[in-house]
Amino acid sequence: MRNKSVIDEARQIHFAVEMIELGARLQLLQEETSLSRERLLKLYKEVTGRSPSKGMLPYSTDWFISWQPNIHSSLFMGIYQFLAKNASLHGLELLIKSYRLYLEQMGVSGEEPILSITRAWFLVRFLDANMLQLTACTACRGQFVVHTNELYEDYVCGVCRPPSRAGKTRKSAARQHPTPADILKVS
Amino acid sequence: MNATQLHEEIKETNLSYLLLAQNMIKQDSAAALFRLGISAEVADLIASLSPAQLIKMAASNMLVCRFRFDESLLFSMITDYSKDRLMSQPHAAILVAGQPVEQLGD
Repeated sequence: MRNKSVIDEARQIHFAVEMIELGARLQLLQEETSLSRERLLKLYKEVTGRSPSKGMLPYSTDWFISWQPNIHSSLFMGIYQFLAKNASLHGLELLIKSYRLYLEQMGVSGEEPILSITRAWFLVRFLDANMLQLTACTACRGQFVVHTNELYEDYVCGVCRPPSRAGKTRKSAARQHPTPADILKVS
Repeated sequence: MNATQLHEEIKETNLSYLLLAQNMIKQDSAAALFRLGISAEVADLIASLSPAQLIKMAASNMLVCRFRFDESLLFSMITDYSKDRLMSQPHAAILVAGQPVEQLGD
């Protein structure tokens, strides 16, 4: 499908540039804009100065369910739905605005934004396709991303009831001062 | 603090809130809705206020903005603080995003 309107094309290029700057994969742009692959490729090289990364996209729904990604994904979806409902945005504009607000929130919290824009896009698609859904935590009443068609009568989110190893990555261990117990563990 | 002083402080707070809100809405209305927790209608209304109207609206003995972190949210933030300090802010943001916005009544 070729689009004829120059204004529309300019809009699409504008969004595509913004998406590339946010780290979107090429496949995602092919899906979301009607620009040709050649143009997108050229655009990508112009913006980033290198060729787009090849290989598979992160297709799995499971990633969104594991502890830390789930909190990030739920936050992103919260922002996304807020803007969809209140700001009457849609499409790429909605995705970009929500993702920018998500990045900002992570900056404020001093967290690494582990949800990439490509994953964020997949998250929205998975929710649209009913592969994932949102459910309320019975403790804090926040909305969290979960698999569809499972039982969530007493669902408690990962922040209200974190798993025992939650947040204890090598990176976070390096950031914190080692406790005597940590030193014992190493030796 | 006596009553006159209190009124002055409220007036000033109102004015800076309204000016900030106006700026935010003009700069990026969608993000402003999220940050302020207001509906598009309320945002339009605030954005359309003239300086004179702004001052009039600010000159009140009541604050024009409301406390958004109500009971359950505040409670979870306080309890989270001891449990996991790292995730309490994103958590609070998830809860705030799910709250209904301030809307114009009938």
